Formats: sequence, structure tokens, C-alpha cells
Amino acid sequence: MRKESRFVVCLLVVIMAFSLSGRAQAETIKIGINAPLTGDIPKVGEGTKFAAQMWLEDVKAAGGLAVGKKKYTVELVLEDNESKAESAVKVATKMITEDDVLVMVGPQASKQAIPAGGIANNYKTVMVTPWSTNPDATKGRPYVFRACFLDPFQGPVVANFISTEFKFTKAAVLYDVASDYPKGLAEFFKKAWEGLHGKGSVVAYESFTTKDTDFSSQLTKIINSGAQVLFTPQYYNEVALIVQQAHQLGWKKPIVGSDSWGSAETVKLCGKDCYGAFFSTHYAAAGASGATKAFIDRYKAKHGYVPDDVAALTWDAMLLVQQAIQKTGGLTGDLKKDRENVRTAMSGIKKFKGITGEMTFSGGGDPIKCAVIVKISDAGEFTFYKSVCP
Amino acid sequence: MVIFLQNLVNALQWGSFYALIALGYSMVYSILMLFNFAHGDIFMVGAYIGFGVSIGLLALSSSGALAMPNWLILALTILFSMFLTSFVGMIVERVGYRPLRNAPRASAAITGLMIGIILETGNLILLGARRVSFPSLVETTVYNVGGVFVTNKKIMIVLVSLLLTLALHLFVRRTKWGMAMRAMAFDFAVVPLMGVPVNTMIALTFAIGSALAAAAGILFGVAYPVLDPYMGILFGWKAFVAAILGGRGSILGATLAGFLLGFTEIFVAMIFPSTLRDLIAYSIILLILTFRPHGFFGEPYSARLRL
Amino acid sequence: MPVMGRTIRNLRASYSQVPLLGWLCGALIAVTLERFAGTPIALALGLPKIPALFGLDIMLKKPILVPNAILYVFLVYGLPMGATTRSSISLTNRLAGRLFRFPIAITVAVHLALLYTTLHLWAGISDYRALVLKLTLIAVMLTLSLNVINGYMGEFSCSHPGFMALGAYCASVFTVGLFVDDRLFGAVFLPPGLGPFLFPVALILGGFLASFGALFVAIPSFRTRGDYLAIISLAFLFIVKSLIENLEFVRGPRGLSGQPDLADLPTVFLWTVLCVWSINNFVRSTIGKALNAVRDNEMAAGAMTVDTRRTKIVAFLFAAFWAGVAGGLFAHVLRYVNPSTFGIQNLAEVLAMVYFGGLNSVYGSIVGAVSISLLGEALRPLEIFKWIIIPLLLILVMIFRPTGLIAFKDLDVTSLLRPKRKPGGEV
Repeated sequence: MRKESRFVVCLLVVIMAFSLSGRAQAETIKIGINAPLTGDIPKVGEGTKFAAQMWLEDVKAAGGLAVGKKKYTVELVLEDNESKAESAVKVATKMITEDDVLVMVGPQASKQAIPAGGIANNYKTVMVTPWSTNPDATKGRPYVFRACFLDPFQGPVVANFISTEFKFTKAAVLYDVASDYPKGLAEFFKKAWEGLHGKGSVVAYESFTTKDTDFSSQLTKIINSGAQVLFTPQYYNEVALIVQQAHQLGWKKPIVGSDSWGSAETVKLCGKDCYGAFFSTHYAAAGASGATKAFIDRYKAKHGYVPDDVAALTWDAMLLVQQAIQKTGGLTGDLKKDRENVRTAMSGIKKFKGITGEMTFSGGGDPIKCAVIVKISDAGEFTFYKSVCP
Repeated sequence: MVIFLQNLVNALQWGSFYALIALGYSMVYSILMLFNFAHGDIFMVGAYIGFGVSIGLLALSSSGALAMPNWLILALTILFSMFLTSFVGMIVERVGYRPLRNAPRASAAITGLMIGIILETGNLILLGARRVSFPSLVETTVYNVGGVFVTNKKIMIVLVSLLLTLALHLFVRRTKWGMAMRAMAFDFAVVPLMGVPVNTMIALTFAIGSALAAAAGILFGVAYPVLDPYMGILFGWKAFVAAILGGRGSILGATLAGFLLGFTEIFVAMIFPSTLRDLIAYSIILLILTFRPHGFFGEPYSARLRL
Repeated sequence: MPVMGRTIRNLRASYSQVPLLGWLCGALIAVTLERFAGTPIALALGLPKIPALFGLDIMLKKPILVPNAILYVFLVYGLPMGATTRSSISLTNRLAGRLFRFPIAITVAVHLALLYTTLHLWAGISDYRALVLKLTLIAVMLTLSLNVINGYMGEFSCSHPGFMALGAYCASVFTVGLFVDDRLFGAVFLPPGLGPFLFPVALILGGFLASFGALFVAIPSFRTRGDYLAIISLAFLFIVKSLIENLEFVRGPRGLSGQPDLADLPTVFLWTVLCVWSINNFVRSTIGKALNAVRDNEMAAGAMTVDTRRTKIVAFLFAAFWAGVAGGLFAHVLRYVNPSTFGIQNLAEVLAMVYFGGLNSVYGSIVGAVSISLLGEALRPLEIFKWIIIPLLLILVMIFRPTGLIAFKDLDVTSLLRPKRKPGGEV
């Protein structure tokens, strides 16, 4: 019996010792970052991570985040969602219920943002997805916001641009049928184009599957269809291959893209073939000024390449979150109330000056935002061509 | 007609990659009855090694220390990378497959799968998430032959891959080592009794297969100059289909099956709506296997899974 | 050292007398303790809150808290379980003996009830735990059903994600169509209150659709022996994915969302138990033995009047059925499905679970699925290095135990539940 009591005493001492070693700090704000660091799109995850960390540096340099009259230290809870839907849901649940984040930024791709948005909405926690363009991510979910414009807006923008700029009437589309974003955009473009030029004016509507690298068969069809312009809402790695192969197969007409072209990698991978192409996007890196330029320069100095749209949108999302938190006028310490306050503040943000354009939330979780048409110059830079607002 | 010819040219190039990768797959499969699921990632590693080597050679050449024309750089890159990648193949065999020689072969397939994941992740850690752009060693020239567009790259790719296939065929048919390999594919148990050093021969098989994968990787880099760490996965699985479709122990079969796969994918996209490409292409494969269940050239055999 | 060895041996000897009932009771007590005293203990130990997964992720995130987390696990799980199981050996053995005299169904039901209560209490502490638990149980179903093909039948099938996708989509279309006001399927047909009652129908329909799809793989593959199943099933996986991407009424690559919240923990648990029970019975039945015979020597099995082709097709369809059911549950846990979820990556994961756990063994599948799922969660803080460590671990397991951790072991319910000591008290 004595042996056991000694054991219990020892145990108590140890517990006492540990209890002194670390106490939870009350004055921190936790922000969750749900990013695809591994899986299909590690590059997207990297951009997210770097932009979020840059934002954190700023906050730290300012000595914390001032909310109301108090300064809070900020902690990022960065988790990898492996670019899988179930993993994104796990991460979202973990952040919200275990790590007690105030706001979650991410996931980026719609296939993760849609289910994770459901979780965030259930737990009444604000989630901002910087990059997901699928309407379902925010639809009917008062707690889910996004920092980018939607496909139904971008599709007509591009269609109108081509029609007024080139006076073309026959277009071809090449897109990835297995990926949500290109497919959605291709559909909206087709609808808008046929609205302008009548049925059958999209003379070739061709597709391929994610990770394909050879598009020769589809491009041959397109070239022989008599199309005057090729619209391809693809990611930068595919853009390089598509454009090069099109030229090799004898295509000499214009090629137009969407915001997913907006990465420094596009030109790096594509080279001269992409010069002269147009695309719609959130911001133009070359010729950027003010805060946008500052962000690009800083990012480039730190990581060695021009940030792509994911990084820029994540940066904007972080600033949106910051503004929403500061607008609450002070945290109560009760997480439930604070999350609710942040939501109210977030939905009331008007004329937020982000580096990807001005955003206004009016009721729903989708911002009203302008699109920019960018031309890839002969020096390989993204130059501002035209601005289109809703 | 022009469209058909154009697609024929496209399919020849696309099929070359499947054929080259399927060859390496098929060799290992013939001898060890093993699904080498790491093969697609060896292809990826080969492409990256080729990228490194060519960058190095270009730097060397432009610094003036050793001026070389671009075609020489490309040839040297292919040779060097094939050599280096063959070691990767041998290491994979030594670490992942040899300890499992007597285990159920599916277990070895799993180690292969896992080694593949390690290669991908390792690449991601070492080089970061950025995709790299393969240096363009050959200036693209487009020839217009009666409306059919052919590039010098396409011709080169098809020629090189046919050349390599032929070389391998001669190696397997005409040399002593090749004979040993055929013997091992025929009866694995008896061959060691004939004094054939089995471990060396298996290592050699992996080395050759990996070298071919490296060649495919560089040709891939020339044709589609965007490399990413996950580029080998889909190739690996499709080459797996081609290798088994070709039949066991048949180099010609694997090559033809590789080209067939490439042709199916291209021509299905030509004839049908391209959205349905995978659906129809693989249904065709399924049909072929229903009526020709032993592949093309493989003999019907009653292999027993060593489980 | 010899002292320690002896102590361990003694401990093992004394704990080997604890019947399963004892372990379950011990676990229940530990979980109850965590429920009521977990938070104060965690706070006293300097942990911010109750560690979600046995403190593993806390340890990796803040290495300074490693001793605290270990101590927590020891205090909350180790100590109570160890003490109560040890001290109640005679009691639990007597109870188990008494239970054993009832029909086996009742004994099993009591054990399952205890297990469920434990899991329910454990998962009740945080929703994250509940989610991980649900997905783990689904992984168990998947692994087990794949083990029927890859382990018991000895073939190499790659189509499991395809079956899962069929089940997931079929069940989702059923529930979304009937119970959700959706712009694709129109207004609500039936009152949502009927949902829980019709949910099994949805799952079974999903299972049948998967079985039906499996027919397209089975008929061409099992005409001859060889590796054709491997590529036919792989082709099938590509076909299913491409098919769903092209089906506009399930919204193609955009994915189908808005499934009603029907897959709660009891439902998933119940289906998992059903799955384990039926697969265990299947593989221990005549047809299961015939399946093993076909694997070991098809010709000899044929000579012993086994209809080899029929046996293989039945087993394949049966496995596909359970994969479909698991897919249906998966869709309703996530409440969103997307064709790209069911790709090569998913295949690699399920294969890893099967071969890690062990071929030809129900225990193995459970161990494989649970350990890989938990490992995947626990190593999350390592980010990318997780995908170095998990494959390495698997390679090591394959090298040292080529058939997996627990291979070729029957799950015999009677011997599992039997009291480990005679009721009289003598050892």
C-alpha cells in the first residue's frame, strides 16, 4: 500500500510541475489556413502558405493585431488538406473544433471549398476561400465568403471582349472536362458567346482530362473547324502545352485565356509562344502600382518569383479577415460571439481596396469586383489592357 | 483525309511515349511477374535528371569552356540521363524488390507504389512545388506537308523511340544476356541452376528498363516542356495497361500495345466528342481483352500467383 | 534488464487473462473518466484542451508538450484501463462466462453495445474525433471488401474507388432526389423525417449498382487466369470516372453536394458491424473456403468440383457491394461527392491499408485501416514529410512481414469473446 501511495504522490508532484510549465495564452487570435501543400496542386498550397506568412510578418512587425483597444498576437494554424475533399473536411473540423480558430482561410480549389464550406457554416465560423469560383461554395451559406469573382461573371466578360475587340463570330473552346473550374468557365463562355452570335457559333467545343499533356487530336479538330479564336480557361502548366502545340499544328489566330493564366509561370513555361495572348484576370502584375506592386516586389524578393493569383488573392483574403476582425470593435473572448461578430463585420465590408481590385460585399458571400483584361507583351510581361466592371 | 493523317502523326508521337515506358514495364513483368508500380516515377526522375544534365551541359557550353551544338547536347543528355537513371532503377530494385523476391508479388507491387510516392514527395521537397520548364534544345521547325503539320521534334521522337525499341529487341534476341533474360522469363526456377547470376540479371533488367524510361522522359521534356513531380503517375498506370495488354515476355507486344493505347486515345478524341475520350478508349481496351484475353502476343499461360 | 524482462512477462501473463469484456469495460471507464475529468486533467497538465487523438498531433506540433501529452494519455487511458482490467479479472471473467451461456447473438450484442458506448463517449468529446472515427470505420469497410478480392481470392483488383464512386453517386442521387429541394432534382418528394428509414435503401441500392458495375469487370476477367483483372479493373476505374464526369444530371466534375445529414455515428457503426459480420461469415463459409482453394490452386480446386468461375464472380460482386455501401456512407459523411475523389490516389490508399494490415484476414483489415487512417491524421503536422514517413513505414512492414501485420488469421467470434479464465478462479 505504501508503495502505491508514494507513486501517487510522485504523480501529483509531476502534474504540478507540468501545470506550471505551460498555460494557454488567452490573448491570441488564431486563423486557420487550409491549404493543399501536397497532392495535385502543391504550387497553389505554396502560394497560399507564403502569402499568409507574409501577412503574419506584417502583423508581428506591428506588434500584434489591434482590435478595439487591445493588441492581440496572431497565430496561424496551417494545415495540409492534401488536395482531397475528405481531408479538407477533416482539417476544417479540426481547426474549428480543436484549434479554436476565429476565421478560416481556404481551402482554395472548389472541390475542397464546397464540402469544407458546409462544415464552416455548420459551426458558424467565417470561412474565406480566396480562389474557389464555383457558385456552390458560398450559396446559401452566410458564413462562407470568397475573394474572387465567379465564373458566371468572367465568362461573358471574355466573350464580350473578343466580340468587340476582334469582331470575331466563330470561337473554339478547349478545356479540361475533369476539372471543375475550366469546365464551368467553358460552359459560361459558350452560353455568353452563343447569346451574342447565335447558336452554333462555338464551332469547336473540345476537352481533355486532367494531367493530359497531348492535345494534338483536339487541336487538329479545332484548327479544321474554322474557328477564329481559341478560348482555353486552363491552368498555366497546361496553357504552355496547349499554346505551343497549337502553334506547332499551324494555328496562327489569337488565343484567349482566363484568370487561371495569371501566374508568372505561364510565361516561364510557355516562352515566346504565349506572347500576344490575352486573358481576363484579377490583376496585372506588370505595370502594377501602389500596394499591388509593393506586394509583388516583396514576394518576389522573398521567394524568387512573381506571385500568382492564388498568392495575391490569399493576401487579399487575409487583409479582408483582418479588416473584419478590426471592425468588430473588440473581441469578447467568447469564441461563439466573436465568430458571429466577425461574420457581421465581414458581410458589411464595402469598397475594400485589395491588391486584386476593389471588393464590396452586398449581402451574400460573393464580392462585387472588376475584371481586368491583360495582354502578354512581347517582353513576356502581363500588361493592363482593359478593365471590365459588372 | 488530311485530318486523319494529321492525327496519325499525332498518335505516332503520343504512342512512342507509351511504348517506351511500357517496354521497361514489360521487361520486369516478364521476368519477375511483378507490377513495377514505381516505373512511372522512374520516368519522372529520368525527365528531371535529363533536365539537370541538359541545364548543366548548356551552362558548360555557353560559358565557352566546351562549346557544343544543341543536337550534341541533346544526344549527350539522353545518354548521360539513361546512364544515371539506370542506377535509380537498380537502387529501387535493391531496396524495394529484392528483399521481397519470395514474398507474394502483390506485396512487392505495394513497395513499388510506396517507393513511387517517396520519389514524388522527395522531388517536391527538393525542388519545391514549382513546375520546371525543360530547356528547348531543338528549335521547333514546322513542316507543312500538304496540310499536315509535322515538326522536326515529332520526327525525332518517333525515330529515337523506334531505334531504342529495335536496339532492345536485338539485345534480347542476339546477346547472351538477352538469352538469359528470356530464359528467366520462361522458367525462373531452373535458370539459376544453369549458372546464370540471377541477381545481376534482374538488376540489369531494371537498369535497362529505367534507362528506357529516362529516354522517354527526356523526349517527353522535348515535346511537352513542362515537368512536375506527379507527371509519372498516370503514365505509369497506362504503361502498366500497355505492358500487360502486350502480353507477357513480348517486346514487340509491349511496343505495339503502347502505340495502340496512344492511337486509341487520339483517334477516339478525333471521332467522338472528346469529353467521352477516356470512357470510350478504355471501353475499347476492355472489349479487346474480352475477345483476346491473353493480350496480343503473350501465350496463354497458367501462371499461378505466388501468394 | 532481466528484472524488467521478468516484469513485462509477468504483466503479460496477468493481462492475458483479461477477457474482451474486461478490456471493453476498462475502456468504457477510461472514456467516462475523460468525459468528466478530461478537461481539468488536461488543463492541469498544461495542455490547452483534451488531446484529440491520444496527444499525437500535439506532440508533433509543440514538442515541448510531449511529456505532458504522454502523461495525459497514461493518466486518462493507461492507468484506469490497466488498473480496472487487472483488478476485475475474476469479475469480468465470471461475467463473460455467464454471458457465454446465453445464445451467442446476445453475447455479441452486449459486447457491441459496450464497444459502441465507448466509441460514442470518446467521439462525443469533439466533433473532429467523431469525423475521424466515421471515416475510419468507412475505411475499415473498404479495406475489408478489397481484402476479399486481393487477399482471399488472390487477384489484384484496382477498381475499388470505381465501385465506391458508383455507390456514392447512387446513394446520393437517391437521397438528394427524395429529401432535398434541389434545382437538379426538383422539390422534396418525401418528408425529411423518412430519411433515416430510407437511408439503408439508398445504401443498398448503391451497393447493388456497384455490384452491377463489377459484373462488367468480372465477366471478361475471370474467363482466364492471369493478371487481366488488374488492367481490366484499372480500365473500369478510368471508365467510371469519365462516365461520372460526363453525367450532367449529377453535375459532372462540379460534384454533387447537399446530401442530407443521415450518416451519423450509430448508422456508420451499425453498417460497419454488418459489413464485418457478413464478410467474416462469407469468408468462413463454404464459398469462402472454395475461394481460398481457387487462389492456392485453381486447377486442383476445379478438380474438387469447385465451380471456379462462379466462385470468383460471386466473391467479386460481394466485395463490390460492400465497397458501394461504403461509398454511399462516405458521400453522406462528407455531404459532397466529386469524381476526382475516386481516382488513383484513393486506390493507392486502400491498397496500402489492405497490404499493411494483412492479407486474408479480417483482423488485418481492421488493423490496417485503423492504423493508416489514424497515422494519416496524427502525422498531419509534418505536412509534406508525412508522405515520406508513411510509405517508408509500409515498405518496412512489407520487407519484414511480406503478407502484412496480421495475415491469414480467422476471426472467430466465439474464441474472441470466451472468458480467459475458468470461472472457478484457478488459472
